[in-house]
Parts: sequence; structure tokens; C-alpha cells
Amino acid sequence: MKFFLILFIFAVSLFSKEVVIEVKQMHCPLCTSMVKKAIKNVEGVTKVKVKLQDKKAVINFDESKTNIATILEAIKTTSYVGEVVKP
Amino acid sequence: MQRRTFLKGAALVGTTMAVTPSIVLADTKTNPFGITKKPRKFSVTNSFELETNDQVARLWVPLPLDSSYQKVLNISYTGDFKEAFISNDNAYDTKLLYAQWDKNSKSRKLEIKFDIIMQERTADLSKATNNTNFPADVKAFLKGTAHTPVNEKLTAFANEITKDSKTQLEKAQAIYDWTVNNMYRDESVIGCGVGDASKIIEQKLFGGKCTDVSSVFVALLRNAGVPARELFGIRLGQSKISNSCGKADANGFAKISGGQHCRTEFYVDGAGWIPADPADVTKVRTQEKLTNDDKKIKDLRKYFFGNWEMNWAAFNYARDFVLNPKPAQYPLNMLGYPYAEMDEDVLNYYSPKEFGYSYTSQERA
Repeated sequence: MKFFLILFIFAVSLFSKEVVIEVKQMHCPLCTSMVKKAIKNVEGVTKVKVKLQDKKAVINFDESKTNIATILEAIKTTSYVGEVVKP
Repeated sequence: MQRRTFLKGAALVGTTMAVTPSIVLADTKTNPFGITKKPRKFSVTNSFELETNDQVARLWVPLPLDSSYQKVLNISYTGDFKEAFISNDNAYDTKLLYAQWDKNSKSRKLEIKFDIIMQERTADLSKATNNTNFPADVKAFLKGTAHTPVNEKLTAFANEITKDSKTQLEKAQAIYDWTVNNMYRDESVIGCGVGDASKIIEQKLFGGKCTDVSSVFVALLRNAGVPARELFGIRLGQSKISNSCGKADANGFAKISGGQHCRTEFYVDGAGWIPADPADVTKVRTQEKLTNDDKKIKDLRKYFFGNWEMNWAAFNYARDFVLNPKPAQYPLNMLGYPYAEMDEDVLNYYSPKEFGYSYTSQERA
């Protein structure tokens, strides 16, 4: 049982990736909600944190299911443009 | 959770309980709208019922300020919150009620009640001087903010508009005229608009709603060296000018959840803070399908340069500031609407239903 759990965690970490994206145009708290919602809707995204004060989104995602380009496209649907600062 | 009830009226309003505000109206001119100096009294109820979930809920509600033209009476609030208090401990001295609920709380209710007495606001423009040695508290409103910056580009633009103006008041009039002539109401804008004056002017996209129009007016004034500020508030009752500026039923009752409205003030030595509302000129012009050549718009643009019809309660002057207690997201663009967060997520304050708030007002005789 323990072996399978370790194997599962290893498998998840193998594909898990964190990216930091700057969304410069965010100008009010509601912008963060819009951006967060759009990113969360991308299949494979596991965790999103968006902060207005530094205009950054920290995103964890499963690389086997999605990629940074898809996430950037999702941000574009909110009429904002994201720029990767920490791939 | 234990239900808590607080009645803070007496403590909050202190000893200022005159029945009417002590307003000196230097200018007793009549207006074509039948607006009189008789004070108006409104009883206001702000009701909240926020979603319940496994997140901590935090709510900040803007409350009306006390001033020479409006007095707030008998504020009370009740609810099932864990913690709530009224404070003005923030950069703009903005009065707000803060409430917090634990995660998994069974319900999240808050009701705020207050009365407010308001009187027609009229400035005496004949007292204006050209002295620009402003007091420190006035000078603060010459500085730019993130959404209403003071910079070389905007200053050059403001200087071009005011190039034929000799006095501070003439500068303000020129900028007011420019704003009313060039800006238009865009009904597709959500809520009162973001009020990003820099973007509006630089992109030459002059459509917007009240915060947009007010912010452009204020930004241009500051760039021209005239102290100015946006004032966020809410329409409480029937307007004598137009239903576009406030409405109520025959008994004076109004549902005002969507009644937020932004106005402006600018400062001229001798006359003090002068009220102006270029945004409502654009609103009446659009909604009544009028043009600048119609008499009503001519009268209105004259009236709203130095006067406010007081069916509207002022909240605060805050722009681009940090609330206290500090929220997860900051700075806040403005605080005309209630603001709430579930952990780090912001509730949609433009949608009373989605957010869970309902505001009503009853005009008293």
C-alpha cells in the first residue's frame, strides 16, 4: 500500500509544474477573480493563486494534461495578456 | 454561533445631532429644476446574506461621511458575524463597516440601518480667488493616483485645454466644458466604470460611466494645478432633475442596490470645495436622448458646475488605497460598492444578487 502511495506521489510530481505569470493590466480586485476563473477552467490546472498587488498568477498544473501556452490563451479570453516570468 | 447585536447609533453620531445640517448657503439663486433648500431625510437599510462555504468571509461596507451638507444619524447593525466594527482607520479616512465570518458558518447575515439628512449643496463661485497657496489637506488632492495620474503627458493635455484660462476657476470651467463636450455615457460599461483616466485620455476612448467621467475630470484638474477629488456615494431617492439621476415610488421608497454614483469636487481658494457632476450631464443627455443644444442640458451643465441635488449620499474620496483590515487583494480601486472576499477570492460587487446584498431607502417627510 505504502509503495503504491509513494509511486502515486512520484507520478504526480513527475508531471506537476509551477509557473508564474505576470498579468500587467489587472487594475482592480475583480480582475483577479476573472483571471483566476479563466485559468482554473483549463483542464489539468490543479492550483491557482492570483494577487493584485504584484499582478502575478502562480499556477500549478499537470504537464501531461496542459501547457503554458494553453494557460496564456485562457488568460487572453479575459482580455488580459499574461507574460511568463518564471517558467 | 452566538447571535450578536450591536446598537452603535449614539456612540457614532456623538453630539452632532442637530435636526438639520448647519449649512450656510451663500448663493440663494433659484434653479430651473425646482430644487429647494429644504432638507431631505432618508432611512436606509443595507442587507447582506453572503454565500456559506468552507472559506473565511470578510466584508467591507462603505458608510456615508458626515459633512456640512449631510448628517448621518442612528447607525445600527445586527448580524451573525464573528466580528464587526465601524472604523475610518485608512489612508483616506474612509468610514466603513467591517464584518467577518468563520469558514463553515451556517449563515452570513448583516443588516445596517441609518438615517441621513441632506441639504442642497451650492457653492458661491463669486468668492473664488486665484490664490494657489493651498492648505496641506487640500494640496493632497493635487497628487496623482494609479488611475488618475499626474504626469507630463496629461499635464500637457490639461494645459492645452486651459490655455485661454486666466484663473483657477476658469481652468476648472474649461476642463468641465471639455469633459462634458467630449465624454459620453457608454451604457455597456459595467457598474460605474473603472475610472482609469490615464487609459481613457491616452487611448482617446471617451466613453464611460460616472466613475470614468468623474476620474477624467479630476485627473485633468489635478494636472492643471487645481485640487480635485472623486466622491463615491449612492442615490437615495427621487430626483427633481430626471429619473436618470434617482427615482423612487410615489411613497418615496426606493430599491437602491444599483444606485452607486460617483461625483466630484474641486477646490478654489475663497470658494472652498466646489461640487460638480459632469457625469450626470452625460447620463441625462444620453438617457433622455437630448443634445448639448437642448435647453435642459444647457441648464443642467450650468447647474452641475457648483451644485449638487442632494438625493445622493456621499461615502468617501478614496482611490487606489488599502483597506483596513488589510484584504487579500489590494490596492482597491475605489469603494463605492461593498467589497467582500472569501479567502482570496473577490465577490462580484457589480452584481447585488451574486454578491448577496440588497439596499433600500425610504424618504421621510
